[in-house]
Amino acid sequence: MGDQNTVFVANQDEGLVRHLLRRTGFGAKPEDVTKIIGMTRGEAADMLLGFKGKEFKPGGRYIEDAHNKWVKYMIKTNLAVQAKLVLYWHHHFATSNAKVQNTKVMALQIRLLHAMCNGNFKDFVKAMNRNAAVMEFLDTVRNHKDIPNENYARELQELFTVGVKDFAGNPNYTQEDIVQIARAFTGWDYIYNSGESVFHDYDHDYMADFPERGPKTIYKSTGGFGSGGMTYAAGAADEGPQEIDAVIDIIFQHKDSDGKSTVARRVARKLVEYYAHPIATPISAADAAVIDQIIADSDFDTNWSISGLVRAIVVNDTFYDTAAVPPFSASTQKSVTWPIDYVVSTLRLLRMKLKGKYQYVSGGDYQNVRDQLTNMGQTLLEPPSVFGWDWESAWLSSATLLARYDFARDVTSARDGGSSSFRPETFFDLTLNQPDDIVNAVTDILGVTDQLTAVERNALVDYLTDNGANPTLDLNDNDTRNRKLHGLFALVLQSPAYQLH
Amino acid sequence: MAITRRQFIKRTGAAAAGTLLGPSLFNNPFLQKALADTIGDRYFVVVYLDGGNDGVNTVTPVDNGSGNLRTAYDAARMSLNLSPTDLQNTHIGTDPNTGAQLALHPGLIGLKSLYDLGKVAIIQGCGYPAYSLSHDQSRTVWQTADPLSVGTNGGWVGRYLAANYGGTDIPGVNVSDRIVGEFKTTATSVLTIGQLADFGFPYDPFGGGSDDNAKRTAFNALCNAASGDAQPVIKYIGESGAATLLASESYPALDSLYNADRSSWSNQYDAIGRSTARDLREVAKVIYGVAHVPPANNVHARVFQVSNGGYDMHSDQGAANTDGQHYSLHREIGDSLELFYQDCADMGVADKLCIVIWSEFSRRIQQNDSGTDHGSQAPMFVIGGTIQGGPTGGANGGVYGNHPNIDDAALNPDDGNTIYKQGSLVTNPFRSTDFRDVYGTLLKHWLGMTNPSGLVPTDTVPGGGDPDDYWTAANFDLGFLP
Repeated sequence: MGDQNTVFVANQDEGLVRHLLRRTGFGAKPEDVTKIIGMTRGEAADMLLGFKGKEFKPGGRYIEDAHNKWVKYMIKTNLAVQAKLVLYWHHHFATSNAKVQNTKVMALQIRLLHAMCNGNFKDFVKAMNRNAAVMEFLDTVRNHKDIPNENYARELQELFTVGVKDFAGNPNYTQEDIVQIARAFTGWDYIYNSGESVFHDYDHDYMADFPERGPKTIYKSTGGFGSGGMTYAAGAADEGPQEIDAVIDIIFQHKDSDGKSTVARRVARKLVEYYAHPIATPISAADAAVIDQIIADSDFDTNWSISGLVRAIVVNDTFYDTAAVPPFSASTQKSVTWPIDYVVSTLRLLRMKLKGKYQYVSGGDYQNVRDQLTNMGQTLLEPPSVFGWDWESAWLSSATLLARYDFARDVTSARDGGSSSFRPETFFDLTLNQPDDIVNAVTDILGVTDQLTAVERNALVDYLTDNGANPTLDLNDNDTRNRKLHGLFALVLQSPAYQLH
Repeated sequence: MAITRRQFIKRTGAAAAGTLLGPSLFNNPFLQKALADTIGDRYFVVVYLDGGNDGVNTVTPVDNGSGNLRTAYDAARMSLNLSPTDLQNTHIGTDPNTGAQLALHPGLIGLKSLYDLGKVAIIQGCGYPAYSLSHDQSRTVWQTADPLSVGTNGGWVGRYLAANYGGTDIPGVNVSDRIVGEFKTTATSVLTIGQLADFGFPYDPFGGGSDDNAKRTAFNALCNAASGDAQPVIKYIGESGAATLLASESYPALDSLYNADRSSWSNQYDAIGRSTARDLREVAKVIYGVAHVPPANNVHARVFQVSNGGYDMHSDQGAANTDGQHYSLHREIGDSLELFYQDCADMGVADKLCIVIWSEFSRRIQQNDSGTDHGSQAPMFVIGGTIQGGPTGGANGGVYGNHPNIDDAALNPDDGNTIYKQGSLVTNPFRSTDFRDVYGTLLKHWLGMTNPSGLVPTDTVPGGGDPDDYWTAANFDLGFLP
């Protein structure tokens, strides 16, 4: 048991530090582990989360260009913690160019995610209300006063804020709430080229046009507001562009059937699932208590500070659950890496970069990284639906596993000699000749040494020695190095342990 | 291969896959009865229309019959209505309830051709009580066949596969990058494939393949070690990895076999040029390999899934116009299925084929300005050589289940799903057919289960609920299959 004052002890807690770096960024480099050893969890969290962010915008004419620039940025950035947080928000506020069809506003949205990723969550949602890509994707621009389009009003609640059901399984809103919130969002549009939002009062739900509509009241049966609900526009004086902010202010006061902040609980839970481990539905009392403790530690339900919330998560014991080492039990928590994390972390750990405009791996099939990621089930800027991506085991099926195996082969067979090739001779001690030492060195670089069982280690040693036929290896020999050292890296990248983080 | 009950029980792999997704499956008494029931020498294909396909613009009333379906339809679909002229070439049977003439969307001409051959049954108004208008929730309900979350685990097809196959069998193939919801439970029994041709295991070309055997041995050993782990995710990755390795050594050959023997058919899928056609061609390749005599391989897949997206048409839906979104998707589905059926017929397996088409919900009866918001029940389709479908199928020309009552005045306000329309609240129509009856009929009359009840549990009426709203009496003999 630990807390923010727990110290990472040398020669003991390296695995936990690797875990901290891996989960908050992309892979753990030994020099970064060394830097954190000796700090408390709180000090390490402050160092990692206290970044001054960069407002990265993936430019380019085509969506493929934007995608590839974003991946390239993640591979080389020294703000991996910010980049990792932005990926979560890209899932949370999932928006796909397949419908938006406007690379520029997609890029602007990614810049907004970078700008707001660690700030105030309530302000973040208010900004998303007015974000051009969101307005296009969730049909705010097609929500007219004569026949409201409900899409955004539904997804604002289901995905961005409260969720369909609370921890106890009770509904958080009704269809009528969707209808009443949709009315607030009538009249909004954006300028195609700049992405700037505009409000047209002639297309807004004014009482003057439809006097029978009356005031706009929501949450008459949920939210803890009583049977009168919350009225956000009682008359003409309250109506106008400010309604969409008023709706958010109410949503953020919504209490679930346990009397807790519905938004805070849902977002805290999602971020625990992102940074730590999956949580079963219906949520157990123990898991709910952890979420509530994290909210209490961070005051997220009043200050809405995202960096404060993430800090409370990474100093909590629950964050370190998935760092458990074998032997594992049926109840050990593990979590599957996202494809983008798999790709970016691998390239960073192997000190490689991708090649050219299309950002391909120069070995294997020479596929560009976007196709590789698509095969793994994650095309950035094109999440499969409004729900973003399915996580955990859903990342892994034969097709997506094979795509990971392909990528591992491509990376480790990149031998064209250029700056994007795989050259272990530049960072690996080629004087190692004992199979045990070589396996250790490779798994250290890839951060899975403490995750392998003896059986798995033996399989790797048997591979190196061809079942004992060659008890030592000369890695300075070109053929041996290209065959066995490259092969060993491929096998570890393809191993079950490396698919987890 | 279909395995025996004893083999199944022995499979520690299958038992642990259950652990990953929840333990209750293997305590289910109904499963014990199911264990000996199999699909036999048949094929089953699930087609999912992702996003909520607009039911009333898929199966549309041409006239009022004894009710007012057409009048209500025209009132609700001010600009998205399909006119009787639009529908003149796609008439099907009549609505069992009102006798109204029904027609398919004009984009579904491929499906209409199969209908005329007697190979298509239409089941109208499929839904469930207390329906959800959330894509995610409703899709989950359809995939699990468990609207009230009474505690089944995995998908309805997955439970069927778990009951009949073991961990090293591969009875199911999803043409997808993920194991789809209705196939979940038997993780390693379901293969996901994008294209068979690309399904080989990747080896480093260095050394001309001289290290491949060593790599294969080591990779397999890593997967087998993980397969024996107590931790369910590690175990799952190990089992999936090992199954993928094995499949990678047999499935790619099916691509070359099909292309060598059936290139003219293959070209026709290319001519359609849409993802549904390409995905169904991958299914056709596997079926051809399985049906091939003498056996060309060690492949035994019987149950397949493909999906097509884009149905969430909140805007720019288009009615009958040929450049509209809905028309385009209907053409894709109808043309692709017609070709796939004919391909299978030419292989001689049409009578062994059954296809079911579903979507998580239909659209709102009342349109918005250029599209439709989420609605409730939806029509399903069942296609196959021995279906009681087409003009002479059943009492209503291949139509089963009543058309939903789409008249505002007749809708049940208790359903609670209201929309705001020009100052008044409008409700969604109630289902006429419980979708679990369709699943049950398929399980009983196609997939060989004498008693499917355990796989599609009936609802219990919660306290105070209206018993009429719930599904307490199953009907697994809807009649569209003999």
